[in-house]
Amino acid sequence: MSALIKLSGARIYDPANGVDGELRDLYIEDGVLVAPPRDGRKAAQEFDLKGRVIMAGAIDLHTHIGGGKVNIARMMLPEDHAATLVSGDRHPHAGCGHAAPATRTAGYRYAEMGYVACFEPAMLPANARQAHMEMADTPMVDKGAYVLLGNDDFLLRALRDKRSASFVRDYVAWTLNAAQALAIKVVNPGGINAFKFNQRKLDLDEQNSGYGVTPRDILLALANAVRELGVAHPLHIHGCNLGVPGNFETTLDTIKALDGLRAHLTHVQFHSYGTEGDRKFSSGAAQIAEAVNHHKNISLDVGQIMFGRTVTESGDSMRQYAGSAFADPKKWVGMDIECDAGCGVVPFRYRHQNFVNALQWAIGLELFLKVDDPWRIFLTTDHPNGAPFTSYPHLIRLLMDKSFRNDMLATINPEAAAASTLASLDREYSLYEIAILTRAAPARSLGLQGFGSLAVGAPAHITVYRDDEDRQKMFSTPELVFKNGQIIVRDGRVVEEVWGTTHVVHPDYDRSIERELDHYFERYMTVRKDNQRLADDEIRDGGRGALKVHATRPA
Amino acid sequence: MAVASLGIANSNGDIQPGFHSVSETQPLIETTDHGAPHAAVCPYCALLCDDLVIAPKRDLSFTITRNGCRRAGQDYARAPLANTPRIAGREATLEQAIRAAAKLFKRARQPLFGGLATDVDGMRAVIDLAERCGAVLDHAHGEPLAAMARVLQTRGWFATTLSEVRNRADLVLMVGVDLADRYENLARRCLRPAQALDDATLAARRVIYLGSTPPGALVADCESMKCANEALVDVLHALLAALKQQAPAATRVGGLPAARITALADSLRASRYSAIAFAPGRLSAPRDPALALLCEIVDELNRATRAALLPLGGDDGGQTAVSTCAWLTGYPLRIRHGQQIDYQPHSNATAKLLADGSADALLWIDAYGRLGELPAAARLEHSVVLSASDNARAATAAVFIPIGTPGLDHAARLVRTDAVVSLSLPAQRDSGLPAVAPVLRAIEAAL
Repeated sequence: MSALIKLSGARIYDPANGVDGELRDLYIEDGVLVAPPRDGRKAAQEFDLKGRVIMAGAIDLHTHIGGGKVNIARMMLPEDHAATLVSGDRHPHAGCGHAAPATRTAGYRYAEMGYVACFEPAMLPANARQAHMEMADTPMVDKGAYVLLGNDDFLLRALRDKRSASFVRDYVAWTLNAAQALAIKVVNPGGINAFKFNQRKLDLDEQNSGYGVTPRDILLALANAVRELGVAHPLHIHGCNLGVPGNFETTLDTIKALDGLRAHLTHVQFHSYGTEGDRKFSSGAAQIAEAVNHHKNISLDVGQIMFGRTVTESGDSMRQYAGSAFADPKKWVGMDIECDAGCGVVPFRYRHQNFVNALQWAIGLELFLKVDDPWRIFLTTDHPNGAPFTSYPHLIRLLMDKSFRNDMLATINPEAAAASTLASLDREYSLYEIAILTRAAPARSLGLQGFGSLAVGAPAHITVYRDDEDRQKMFSTPELVFKNGQIIVRDGRVVEEVWGTTHVVHPDYDRSIERELDHYFERYMTVRKDNQRLADDEIRDGGRGALKVHATRPA
Repeated sequence: MAVASLGIANSNGDIQPGFHSVSETQPLIETTDHGAPHAAVCPYCALLCDDLVIAPKRDLSFTITRNGCRRAGQDYARAPLANTPRIAGREATLEQAIRAAAKLFKRARQPLFGGLATDVDGMRAVIDLAERCGAVLDHAHGEPLAAMARVLQTRGWFATTLSEVRNRADLVLMVGVDLADRYENLARRCLRPAQALDDATLAARRVIYLGSTPPGALVADCESMKCANEALVDVLHALLAALKQQAPAATRVGGLPAARITALADSLRASRYSAIAFAPGRLSAPRDPALALLCEIVDELNRATRAALLPLGGDDGGQTAVSTCAWLTGYPLRIRHGQQIDYQPHSNATAKLLADGSADALLWIDAYGRLGELPAAARLEHSVVLSASDNARAATAAVFIPIGTPGLDHAARLVRTDAVVSLSLPAQRDSGLPAVAPVLRAIEAAL
């Protein structure tokens, strides 16, 4: 039994429990938050935290931290690492990387920013084992992954053959189990597959030429399956036409198509483009925000871009192929993968004087400021696609500090600045709202019990910040980070290397689908079904990892 | 014997799971006196065929009863080594050997960790030990792996994977691959499988071979364009020119008529999905020009139709080593690890470091027992060898520790040639031989 720890005198921002900046003491015992001792027992350790801000540990619900495309990016970009070498003095292990960091470096940096959990949003079933091995080698944070469906030939055949909803549901459930995933992701529904048949674009109601199935069919089949299985996080959608001017209409159509079904739209900034103006590129953020404000079934993360070098890593081989023309430096990798999905890895530099890039930056911020409900919008840069996750403190300052935002706006391409309504937006996020975006809301959306909350009984994942008018500085280097009650970071430096838990769901399903899957894998694939499946012990990985199976609540 | 006569020619692609096929295959088995035949994943090349059926023998070796290949048959037929560590050729306990190894690495100014034929857990331990010792990391197949990394870092490529080729390709061009030497099962699993998602694609599939070692009967109906491997750069150059509709510069290139190359270009352009399979390790050095041309050919094809590369390589744990090193350190091997990571793919090459004497200690890992003798330039008195094979030189190194083979003597995870699929292989026998990871962890603890 570990000794009682008291955190006294800090201002508490805990939106999961409606606590907005109250001065309150917190107590930790045995790794969890406990009520103040009634017997007057003294804490063995007390931290005097006057002038500090306390939030639950932060959660990133969309960050590419593990899997084949991430590893391609690492190997492709020695120039990314050379400037960002981290020595073994700075971190428990030497590492490197800005846009495509080594696994350990990523884990340390997340912890140093007060994050305690990160979720890889695009794990391919065929690549799930590697994604989990990479995440297993990502220290400090808890993790999990959303497994990709919707471009796999198995599902497209099932939809072509008008198989029943229960068949699709069983397949989705089997996939969640086999890949040890927390949720289902769809990327350019049917489009990655269509690219293998040499289609270069696929609109919401356009048929995949191989199977005659449309993105709409796929979205509805998957969203319904996820709902029926009772997976907490709704279908995580990277929609059609990423990056295409005019795609805000596709996004609006997608919201309409979902017809009230819960869904999460990801990196919506990349899907909010109009075609107005001389350059035929404009902001569709207002229309998207309005639709999101009206459709309570929809949540989104932004995928904010930041100026500088990064690398875009996506399952969307179709759109990455189109984007490869803009690779900087001039190199890129595309892949067709295992009748399962694909990927594209394109290095990129967002320039503040480039009209399109500058407007992308403004569109992301417009979305943040125009979506009313902070419980349905999450703070992401789609790491590293919009920018590396290390830019979050800067992004938080942009949201919280209008004068800073306007100073930045004055430095971007003036035509883009003029084309944006950003200057007219007065909203400034409060600390309470930031705590919603980065803690309470993602925890709720993912169904992570105890996370994003400072309630008694919750695991003591706690970030202590020095309150500072400069919010970027404040959020860059928390004074203390507790994970399960243990101090893992002091003054923005890792002091203890810990290994996180992997969060998954194991929904039940009709086992008879296994026979058909056996047959399918044996006939067509180059891996047997049971060899693709990851056993629980693989996640535990000799005892260093741990597995948390979250409940599903079938409809 | 049964091994050779079964797997190879058996291209009927029967895909019944291993356990179903036991009764059919049992009569063919010579000696199955140590347990029933069972399904296995083959660790011996980077195809990681996961549909083998193997039958244990009394000496703890195996006979492959189904879906093997000639090469795997030889490897599975080897009995495990005697579990006898040696210090300078004399028998020692494992503890003594570990202490001796630690002493050697502690004294060294520049250790080199080479071979690296191991599994994911082995590489994790390799990387941690390297960080403690300031060691350089390179794989036995470091040259072709580094050539691929250079191409990735300078231009990139469009690639595909085994199942994709099996089901999608209507044309497969094999460039310089030698199926009789390795990847024999590519024929059964990808090129001419019994079934594919689309029967018409499979029926229409053409397989064209370009290079010095046509597969002959290993691939049914394979069209051969025979040329010396050294001439591949010229032929690929001519092929790219033909794809760009440029008139041929010569009537013959690499011994092939220009019209034949133009016809190949036409076929590729007319194909709906072509896959170009190549083995970087089989290309003549310098490999970069041929690799760049292969990438350009695919890029050119992708302007109007679909095409992708299928790289075949990373045997002996090579792809596993590259992938694991990349996620843990950010770089694809050839780093010097330590307080900071130093990526110098040219100077951190095994041959160079051994030849110029700058490596004063060598850790050589050969968990598959297929790498042959230690590099000739390795100095035995500075070498710690962890191997599944007791070659003469290895057995007289400063320290020799017999180790088990991943997926035979211990459970293991390995990354396949396409760097996408990885497999978890259970242990198949109880030889008592240790895995690489615990031995290296013990050396690290003894530093």
